[in-house]
Amino acid sequence: MVIEFKVNGKQVSVDAPPDITLLDLLRDYLNLTGSKEGCAVGECGACAVIMDGRLMNSCLVLAPQAAGSEIITIEGIHAPDGGPNDLQQNFIDYGAVQCGICIPGMIMAGEALLMRHAQPTRAEIRNALAGNLCRCTGYQQIVDAIEATAKGRQKAI
Amino acid sequence: MSHFTNPLEYVGQPARRVDALEKVTGRAKYIADYKVPGMLHARCLRSTLPHARIVRLDPTPALQVPGVRAVITSDDFVNHGLYGFPVKDKYMLAWQKVRYVGEPIAAVAADTPQAALAGAQAIVCELEPLPALFDPERALDPDAPQVGPDRSDGRHPNLKSDHMLVCKGNAEAELADCPIVLDRRYFTDWQEHAYIEPEGVLAMPTPEGGIVVYAPNQSPFINQGNLAMTLGLPLNLVRVIQPVVGGSFGGKDDIIYESSAQAAKLALITGRPVRMVFSREESLIASYKRDAMHMRIRLGADPDGTLRACWFRGILDSGAYASETPFTAWRASIHAMGAYRYRACDVDVYCVYTNNGYAGAFRGFGNPEVCFAVEQTVDELADLLGMDPIDLRLKNCLRLGDETAHGQVLNESVGLVECLTTARRLSDWDRKRAEYSRQNGAEKRRGIGVAAMYHGMSLGAEGADNASGTISILPDYSVDLTSGLTDYGTGSRTVYTLIAAEELGVRPERIRIQRPDTNTAIDSGPTVASRTTVVGGNAMRAAARNLRHTLDLAASDLLKCDPQQLIRVGESYIGPDEEAVSWEKIVDHAREMGLILSAHGKWSAPKIEWDHHHGRGTPYMAYVYGAQIAEVEVDMRTGNVQVLHLWAVHDIGKTIFPQGAYGQLYGGITQGLGYALTEQINYRDGYIQETNFESYLIPTSVDVPEITGQFVEAPYSYGPYGAKNIAEPSLVPTAPAIANAIAQATGRRIRELPMNLERVLLGHDLQPAGSKKPVEAGLAIAPR
Amino acid sequence: MPKFDYARAVSIDEAVALLSDPHCVSRPLAGGTDLLVQTRHGPPAFQRLVDVSRVPEMRTIERRGDEIHIGAAVTYTEIIDSELLRETATCLVEAAQLVGGPAIANAGTLGGNVANAAACADGIPPLVCLDAVAHLVSREGRRDLLVSEVVTGPHQNALKPGELITHFTFPALPVGARSVFLKLGRRNAQAIARLNVAAAGRVSPEGRIDFARLTPGSATPRAVRLTQIETMLIGCTPSRELFEEAGAEAARAMIAVTGRRWSTEYKEIALHGLVARALRHVFNLELER
Repeated sequence: MVIEFKVNGKQVSVDAPPDITLLDLLRDYLNLTGSKEGCAVGECGACAVIMDGRLMNSCLVLAPQAAGSEIITIEGIHAPDGGPNDLQQNFIDYGAVQCGICIPGMIMAGEALLMRHAQPTRAEIRNALAGNLCRCTGYQQIVDAIEATAKGRQKAI
Repeated sequence: MSHFTNPLEYVGQPARRVDALEKVTGRAKYIADYKVPGMLHARCLRSTLPHARIVRLDPTPALQVPGVRAVITSDDFVNHGLYGFPVKDKYMLAWQKVRYVGEPIAAVAADTPQAALAGAQAIVCELEPLPALFDPERALDPDAPQVGPDRSDGRHPNLKSDHMLVCKGNAEAELADCPIVLDRRYFTDWQEHAYIEPEGVLAMPTPEGGIVVYAPNQSPFINQGNLAMTLGLPLNLVRVIQPVVGGSFGGKDDIIYESSAQAAKLALITGRPVRMVFSREESLIASYKRDAMHMRIRLGADPDGTLRACWFRGILDSGAYASETPFTAWRASIHAMGAYRYRACDVDVYCVYTNNGYAGAFRGFGNPEVCFAVEQTVDELADLLGMDPIDLRLKNCLRLGDETAHGQVLNESVGLVECLTTARRLSDWDRKRAEYSRQNGAEKRRGIGVAAMYHGMSLGAEGADNASGTISILPDYSVDLTSGLTDYGTGSRTVYTLIAAEELGVRPERIRIQRPDTNTAIDSGPTVASRTTVVGGNAMRAAARNLRHTLDLAASDLLKCDPQQLIRVGESYIGPDEEAVSWEKIVDHAREMGLILSAHGKWSAPKIEWDHHHGRGTPYMAYVYGAQIAEVEVDMRTGNVQVLHLWAVHDIGKTIFPQGAYGQLYGGITQGLGYALTEQINYRDGYIQETNFESYLIPTSVDVPEITGQFVEAPYSYGPYGAKNIAEPSLVPTAPAIANAIAQATGRRIRELPMNLERVLLGHDLQPAGSKKPVEAGLAIAPR
Repeated sequence: MPKFDYARAVSIDEAVALLSDPHCVSRPLAGGTDLLVQTRHGPPAFQRLVDVSRVPEMRTIERRGDEIHIGAAVTYTEIIDSELLRETATCLVEAAQLVGGPAIANAGTLGGNVANAAACADGIPPLVCLDAVAHLVSREGRRDLLVSEVVTGPHQNALKPGELITHFTFPALPVGARSVFLKLGRRNAQAIARLNVAAAGRVSPEGRIDFARLTPGSATPRAVRLTQIETMLIGCTPSRELFEEAGAEAARAMIAVTGRRWSTEYKEIALHGLVARALRHVFNLELER
């Protein structure tokens, strides 16, 4: 079936089977491989995208459910000049990245949090990341990076 | 040359990971992201019995399934695909027998993942069940089912490794003479690596009749060697490239080598690229794990707290194939006594074959298991004697100049005392210890506990221990590095970049380290045992130093002086005339002189002398030390344990890449926390019950507390800039620190891992009967 | 060949029509957090999924007089964000906060949770505790069932083929009443409930309990109100001992239903403790959770 939606600001129209997930649609049909499959059952968050302003596990969204939606993936997160935005730069600067496989999902979770909550405490940041598993970092530097970004965005206001 | 009297410019300074940018933008490509024109998809048929004879295997029906292009069995490999080190006991695809649930029997390549699954399911495979062995303590009984291969030396076939011994004096006599002897048993569970990226490989045939395999393995040269051997190809027609790896922790070796061989053979037969990617279920079912270990320790001491004797027996349940576990058993034996002095010891650790999956390398490699046992026993001794647990450890712990119970004199770099005293101070240990000993709440109780550790660096007596690196200056003045050792999130690419920058005297931004590639790197042994910083780092340092000598030669020629008269300021060279000359000009001049602008460097670890038969000698060149303190709150009504805070102080010699070192510390601790409390694997008649992340529970962001980490630097003269390592040591003491905290909170010791709700509340575990269903369902997952 | 087809409904009537199609066995789909995991294992028991996640009448949260109305496709996040529910149904909001991480909360719905009828469901005990009614519609018309009647066993519900839960209603708790939800899992997030408890209650100005509700979850195949214990509490003065007795009774009530199973040795102790703790919290005896 033909599924039409917006991804990273661009309108797309994809002819895909109705029983695949949004994750498969993004990766296999649109070549947006930044979202990862870590478990396919909504436990690890490596597939997380922002759909109509909300963090969603794309492995649990049926592709046709995306019709008419606005989806942001990691490929859509960047500064105006195409380089890393402040959150991404803080992930680099605070040592939040090791193997990197969880990072796209973590960044989406961070952006989704900051959309709802401008000055989260560290505990609130941890809660916002509770659906994103990381096996390398122990989460601490990821929390540091998001906390620094929140402070930075507040200063910029 | 006055370069070395300057403070370090890059090493030890705040630095950024060199490969972080592509990871934060989503541009980094992991194996499942690779798509190649004409690519086929591969899938294995895997055993659903724990022990069986393959009575009939007819793969031809698979070829009738639409879309299937090829199917292979063990017949398609040289010598049936036999491989393995240190024991060659496994096959790339099972031959004659299967010995664990999930063992690969055949592999299919097809146009789509669905067709590949259908093809695998069409294969006719008749298995005749054999008696299976699930209890490692019965493995060496005369009437135990035989799991291990036949032996010609008269020893029990289920004995997978030698007995690993450490002996000093007469432990029985010493124990008999001790006023206090504690005799305790411990059990540590299997642990799954749970890298967030499941396994996958991509194999592409080359026009020359060879193969290129992209594989997220830790050790590309071992993969290359296995491929050449089992495919019957010369090494120079087999190329292995490591893409970005989504975590490994020891887990992406054997399972990747097999998948590589399967995909490679299918690629060679079909003439097309073949990719195999695992689902999470297939990963949990088929991949190897950390061994489960059954231990008994007898610790003898004087009333003043002096440790006198340690007797230790350990059996590793390491499942159906040897993989690395003979080495795990050896490392476990060396560390079983903990970081203490003894008058006598008697340690005997070995591993056995069973039909419970199979075990291989996992971060810590035998030390997390034994540390859980010895550190709780030492702690219990402190309780018994009314001594503070840290004071007891300070009384007995290894210090500079001590001789270990193995017979090794520790001549340098022993920072354990400082680790313990620093952790004590940071955690406000004394006040909390006193406060928590006075509480009597009915609902929730707190406790604070400590564990000390040491961890032998690199391979020790496991084998030849050297590494090589190369460095070249390209025509655009950029600098290219290769190393035979790899980075799977551990940060070694950044460490090598910083070391090369420091030695060469150029900004790290000039330097690019290549993807590990058997075509361009030099075999440096496996990337394991936390050896990348020391062994690989020293090799990179040697390479960069060699290249710098070449440039110094060119500079002294251009500036008409002796090399000793040269000064470096930033990247520039300054001679006696005090004019700064740019690095580019020096490079140009070197080229004009006809000098070769590349170098390689090799470093070999100091020779290790270990007497295997008598259990004495120098097991490792040096050790990393550490102490961790955990503060917990136990819910006395439910057995739930919250870790409120963790303090970790490790002596790592010298911190080369601080951000990365702290990341490894927090990450290792987090795996140790999961090992301690929530990560449980239940094999029921050989069938794993946990087949995805809803049942195999690793810590989330709200399970891990804030961690206070600190590094003590007791430099090791053989390490690059004094550095040792942190990757594995960070995981080792976390579980016993938590156990000791729980013991203070509840007054009860839990001697089995994980310390789950039931064990904390009841003192023992409870488990349902279990079934085959999770495995059967997991292996039948149709990829969407 | 796709395993199933997809259709999106924009109204309840359209949903019912699609779900009752005799030529195409159809099931409702909202957040997919249970369904899409189940379709992973084996062929689906349906030919089509009917997406009801955007049916406006199923998305509302409102108060109508003394009744609270929650659409079946309301997500956990919307429950958490609802000021009305935070004031009138704390136990439901707390359950929504504990069901999973943010992405799960953004997708999962009460309708899905109830229809899935897992014994360990987090949404069901609060609804049962609040005496919530599930409103069902099908081609044959409407019917109402208590949520506790919708769930007939583990992963079994009383829904007929083609029937859809459109919304839930429950009477607002009496003025001054509090409610609480406690969850015990093996880790702090993204965990299946080992046990959970929803409780509600009120103390009169004279200091006696005049309203009490108690619904443990993940203890028995179906979550129900423990009415005998509720009755026992009425008229009593809140005390630690009273709630310990209630906890012990709850454990006995569980065993009366399940018999002694492999997990009972643990659950009887833990349930006792959780129930006592939930009641202490509801009746403000102590704030420690």
